[in-house]
Amino acid sequence: MNVRKPCLAAAGGLGAGVVFCLALAAVALVDTPARAGSAGIFDPATFRTTDGRQIFEQICQGCHMPNGQGAAGAGHFPALANNRTLASRQYVALTILMGRRNMPAFGAKHAIGFGAPPAALSEDQIAAVINYVRTHFGNRYADSITAAEVAALDQSLH
Amino acid sequence: MSRRRLLTIVGLSAGSTAMYQAMHSLGFAAETNFTRPIQLSAAPKGASVLVLGAGIAGLVAAYELRNAGYRVQVLEYNGRAGGRNWTLRGGDRYTELGGDTQECRFDPGHYINPGPWRLPYHHRGMLSYCKRLGVALEPFVQINHNAYLHSHKAFDGKPQRLRTVKADYHGHVAELLAKATRSESLDADVTAEDRAKLLDSLRFWGALDRNFRYVKGDASNDRRGYERDPGGGLSARPQFSEPVGLSDLLNSGLWAALPFGEMYDFQTTMFQPVGGMGRVGQAFASELAPLIRYNAKVVQIHQDEHGVRATYDDTAGGASRQTVQADWCICTIPLSILGQIPMNVGGPMAAAIAAVPYCTGVKVGLQFKRRFWEEDEHIYGGVTYTDLPIGQISYPSSGFFSDGKGVLLGAYIWDMLNSMEFTSMTPAERVAKAVEYGSNIHPQYREEFDNGIAVAWHRAPFAMGCFGLWTEATRAQHYDNLCGFDGRIVLAGEHASYLPAWQEGAVTSALDAIDRLHRRALAAGAVA
Repeated sequence: MNVRKPCLAAAGGLGAGVVFCLALAAVALVDTPARAGSAGIFDPATFRTTDGRQIFEQICQGCHMPNGQGAAGAGHFPALANNRTLASRQYVALTILMGRRNMPAFGAKHAIGFGAPPAALSEDQIAAVINYVRTHFGNRYADSITAAEVAALDQSLH
Repeated sequence: MSRRRLLTIVGLSAGSTAMYQAMHSLGFAAETNFTRPIQLSAAPKGASVLVLGAGIAGLVAAYELRNAGYRVQVLEYNGRAGGRNWTLRGGDRYTELGGDTQECRFDPGHYINPGPWRLPYHHRGMLSYCKRLGVALEPFVQINHNAYLHSHKAFDGKPQRLRTVKADYHGHVAELLAKATRSESLDADVTAEDRAKLLDSLRFWGALDRNFRYVKGDASNDRRGYERDPGGGLSARPQFSEPVGLSDLLNSGLWAALPFGEMYDFQTTMFQPVGGMGRVGQAFASELAPLIRYNAKVVQIHQDEHGVRATYDDTAGGASRQTVQADWCICTIPLSILGQIPMNVGGPMAAAIAAVPYCTGVKVGLQFKRRFWEEDEHIYGGVTYTDLPIGQISYPSSGFFSDGKGVLLGAYIWDMLNSMEFTSMTPAERVAKAVEYGSNIHPQYREEFDNGIAVAWHRAPFAMGCFGLWTEATRAQHYDNLCGFDGRIVLAGEHASYLPAWQEGAVTSALDAIDRLHRRALAAGAVA
């Protein structure tokens, strides 16, 4: 049986009716184990976690893969392991804020959706996942990024 | 009725309008510009075209250019034609990025379309090619009044029939509007002459009684259905069902799904190819067989004043790196992949290619031991909408009343975060989640589930995304640069259209591109 945890109800925004679930969803299923994390996203409006690992496992690993190893088909998704661009925490933050090519933007100013709420993450969430990625998969960067720094970078974008 | 209450109602419909406008700005409700089959004059003698990608856009381009006399070569990454036009049937194997391989274990005759699955009656380009290629079409049931609208937090999580939600919503709105009209609140907007006609129309449209009330009885049950249906003999007398109250209805949020079947893209009649959408790609493929080189991964595209050269790897393990050349190139490779392939085009086109992120769609097909939705719930085709992450459940539009197993679409997710989460799961986890969520709507899932298959479009090696996500701003800045010729190269595909995600966008962009290519080729004359 599912154990359900009530969260905040989301208000329907533009286009909420298109995927009308989003105007309504308000609980998370918490007892179903899955590699992507025990508590699912369920309702994007209430996805508030600042656990960098959870954000990585429920969002990033879809393309960058569970160990950050990336993947190659007709094109490729870059690995986050042994990727020198990760040396710059600002570069990573800007990539997440603005998106890059077919990678969608996650900054609130740039994120878009298709008749549904966009995949917007908070500065706290973005900082958390950057710090997670830069200290896992063989990455050992000593410096970390704060939400304030992410916010400042976001401010610099037009 | 208080003004505030009336405004609440108006606000709700304004929400729907705003929603529709949002869809329109995304190009979702735009009309095809297909009018009739293209008639190209004869190609210049010896003129050649390289088509990159054998999805719908590439196939249409290759088909028409070949018919006009061009020497056409097609390079395709997959071992099959169609691209996102694709059907999974029993016995098919599919390996996604990351290496997970699924084998489809559906019974013979059952399938899911991981990509496009329905054709609006006004997508005349797709319908025209189906007819010309002999692809049989059958009705696709989009609107089913007996399917459900479901919110896990309304009506104790119990799914509601579309029929009752629609009837009750219309009924209550009509009653309120009739009250306002009769109390002369609308006299500034409605003339005395029109008032009687408006009241008549509200009574019929909203199924009101003679006193303009939406209540339990003949009129409302003629729309929402009965507690016990009318019959014959001694058990003939119907038992009326009770409408849901306005406040409960508004708070349920289920009204948000009512306009779906009214939208231009989803209006009746919709069609599907008999046996799966992939029949279209297959039909093109048999027509163009000698022209298509499969398992060809394009790694470089280079043009100069004489022509275009594409370099590709044979992924089936033949001679590794090869090159083909032609006078012109129609490139239909999705932008998600094209952006990574070295290609010497100018800044404007390169910027356009880099400007379009891709939607993260996920679909899950589920096979059950019996068609319980028909046997137990009398649902024949159509779509149930839910606020659970699976988004919707769609019932098969063919094989009604058949014995044996049945396959339905158990999830169709394009909400960005939920589809990303599903993409992040293993295929088996996606199937398990779809079963878990769906069992909240159909408890039979638990007993009857047999097997399933899941496709997350960002993990599709040949697409790496579902479809191009444009905004008004990116369209204004980049769309013309994406579609315009750059030297000898022109792009086509759903990403080069105002019909994102629809195959009609691929068809019309291809026709537009080859028309321009043909004019250029004629102007250039026969090749040297």
